[in-house]
Amino acid sequence: MSDIKNDVHRREDSSSAKTYSEAMGIDADALGDSEIAKNDGIQLRLQGVDHTARPTWKLNETIEFYRDVLRLPLIHTISARGWGPPGHHDFLHFFFDSGKGSTIAFFYYIGSDQPEKYAPEQHHFYAATHTAWSVDTEEELQLWKETLEGRGIKISPYTRHEILESIYFYDPNGYPLEVTRRLRDLHKLDSTDAELTLQAATMLEREAAEKGERVTSIDDIWRRKAKLVQETLERRKG
Amino acid sequence: MIRVYVLNVPEFAGLIESAHRMDHCRVAEGDAGYTVIESDSEIIFDRKEMKMKPAVWYGIFTGGLEGEIADFGRDQVRVIGTNRAL
Repeated sequence: MSDIKNDVHRREDSSSAKTYSEAMGIDADALGDSEIAKNDGIQLRLQGVDHTARPTWKLNETIEFYRDVLRLPLIHTISARGWGPPGHHDFLHFFFDSGKGSTIAFFYYIGSDQPEKYAPEQHHFYAATHTAWSVDTEEELQLWKETLEGRGIKISPYTRHEILESIYFYDPNGYPLEVTRRLRDLHKLDSTDAELTLQAATMLEREAAEKGERVTSIDDIWRRKAKLVQETLERRKG
Repeated sequence: MIRVYVLNVPEFAGLIESAHRMDHCRVAEGDAGYTVIESDSEIIFDRKEMKMKPAVWYGIFTGGLEGEIADFGRDQVRVIGTNRAL
């Protein structure tokens, strides 16, 4: 029944592509070469986020939540017949303004049912994919929390991470949202330390993989990090 | 020997202040962005004394730790020495 329903608005298209990637002209197996990147002399630059997008199967609730409760301006909607990848549904693609040129966008695939695997889950693996919006000050963060609570949304307590203070909540789709502020500026020291932490982790992952084992504890990464930092400090002294 | 490497940023400053208050800890404030806390015997850090929120507390050894974590609780962590190579 749901397959039939899913097929109602699924259109054949003019593309001869057999897969999503073929239609899009992309390939998940072609992930680039860091050696070329290091040597081609080109520094590519980005200017922030234009949009992130997720599917929704709750059209009315999503519009009401983002436009009328959060009061993010709806700034653009595409409505189109399904095209491109095979079996693409007719769809709506709509964008809400989230400041400084960024938007949060949704796809509503007309006549489709939400596949089970896209249902929200109460798990940190699922929540890892989330949207975090910035505000500039502590007062603004507090205003967001108190205002949204006043509008009936359940908002988390404030969480202070190392460089961020955040509040969390869900949208009607079960997607996790975050509003956050930077607690301090980041410096060169932060990025060199970040490199060392990930260097420690990737070294251990490689070594474990060679032995058919896995890294199972952050403690091991902290130990390797100690070695790398010690070597850095000795190089400075030397 | 225990060595705790602390990145010199405000969120981890409590570790350094705490180590200064512990007689058995030696604190070397290096110029390369890390302060090194050394001790020949176990070190216990107290979260509330350092006024750390949990989201920072559970990452306090991100600067590097030579030693072994014997207990890591919500409010206290105990680090002991180890002969394991880094």
